[in-house]
Amino acid sequence: MIDLMHTAVLIMLLLSAFFVLWLKELIASAIALAAFSLTLAVEFYILQAPDVAIAEAAIGAALSTTIFIIAIRACSTVRKIQGDGRK
Amino acid sequence: MKKTLFVAAAIIIGGLLIGALDMVHPFGNPGAAPMDNYYLENSLKELSTENIVTSIVFDYRGFDTLGEAAVLFTALCSITVLFREGRKK
Amino acid sequence: MNPLSLIVRVGCDIFAWFMLVFGTNVIIHGYMSPGGGFQGGAIAATFIVFLLVAYGSRRVHSWVNEGIYDVLFDELGLLSFIILAFLGLPTSFFFNYLATPLGVASPWFTPGAGTIFFMSIAVGIEVTGALSLVILNMHRGIRLFSESPMEEELGHDR
Repeated sequence: MIDLMHTAVLIMLLLSAFFVLWLKELIASAIALAAFSLTLAVEFYILQAPDVAIAEAAIGAALSTTIFIIAIRACSTVRKIQGDGRK
Repeated sequence: MKKTLFVAAAIIIGGLLIGALDMVHPFGNPGAAPMDNYYLENSLKELSTENIVTSIVFDYRGFDTLGEAAVLFTALCSITVLFREGRKK
Repeated sequence: MNPLSLIVRVGCDIFAWFMLVFGTNVIIHGYMSPGGGFQGGAIAATFIVFLLVAYGSRRVHSWVNEGIYDVLFDELGLLSFIILAFLGLPTSFFFNYLATPLGVASPWFTPGAGTIFFMSIAVGIEVTGALSLVILNMHRGIRLFSESPMEEELGHDR
């Protein structure tokens, strides 16, 4: 039972890491990174490291996603002011 | 040319990584360092903490935690300097 | 960022306080259950993220004085951590001078873990302040970019 769950979590980890690189939109990529981080926290909990799981869930899923989204918004604001770039 | 170089580098690095899997400890059986057993046996006895990780982080290896707090403080200082509101001329 | 709708605001209002209480719980019980100063501080810093998402950066910045916030959380936590470490200096740096062996009651009103309890609280305060201030300052950076276009360097203050 625990082996099945372990395999499922590892496959989800690989899938979400693939989507982080595959998605073109930057904000969607940041959300996929949050899903990757949350899955990694579950993996740490299965491997009996609850300390690391708490730190990974708090920093990776909440704070790091916020910082990435702030950075993406700031970059788009600067791009809009200077008038060049892709969009 | 560039693509050929990239494929060659990817194959070499991937082969090295897969070859390194041979030396990894088997799953669920990490190799024991001689210091591990000391922590596991004496942490509850000496400090009466149930959480061995906290006793290592804050007592046996407290100096590392001091460095980590200093790194966080430095990051905060640099971000404050970067995004400070400058006074208009 | 502009404030969001009423539903998001009410939900963030409720869950922000739950995250703060949970982070404090993880910090205080760090010596006996999984967690500790860094993890609890990172959870408690989610409080300011919830408030920023719900109310927008302009209103949150009008509530928070960042100099007082910095001194009250960040420097106080780091200083108390270093002072607690230095107090064990008659034996060695980071000596646990309050710890009692298993089964012996502590003469003070502290848990048997001794300085681990206090150091966990100090590091928790420090990490809470640092991570909250990083996010607050980055939000102010967005507003700074959008209001005053970057034509030239503003120069030093004084």
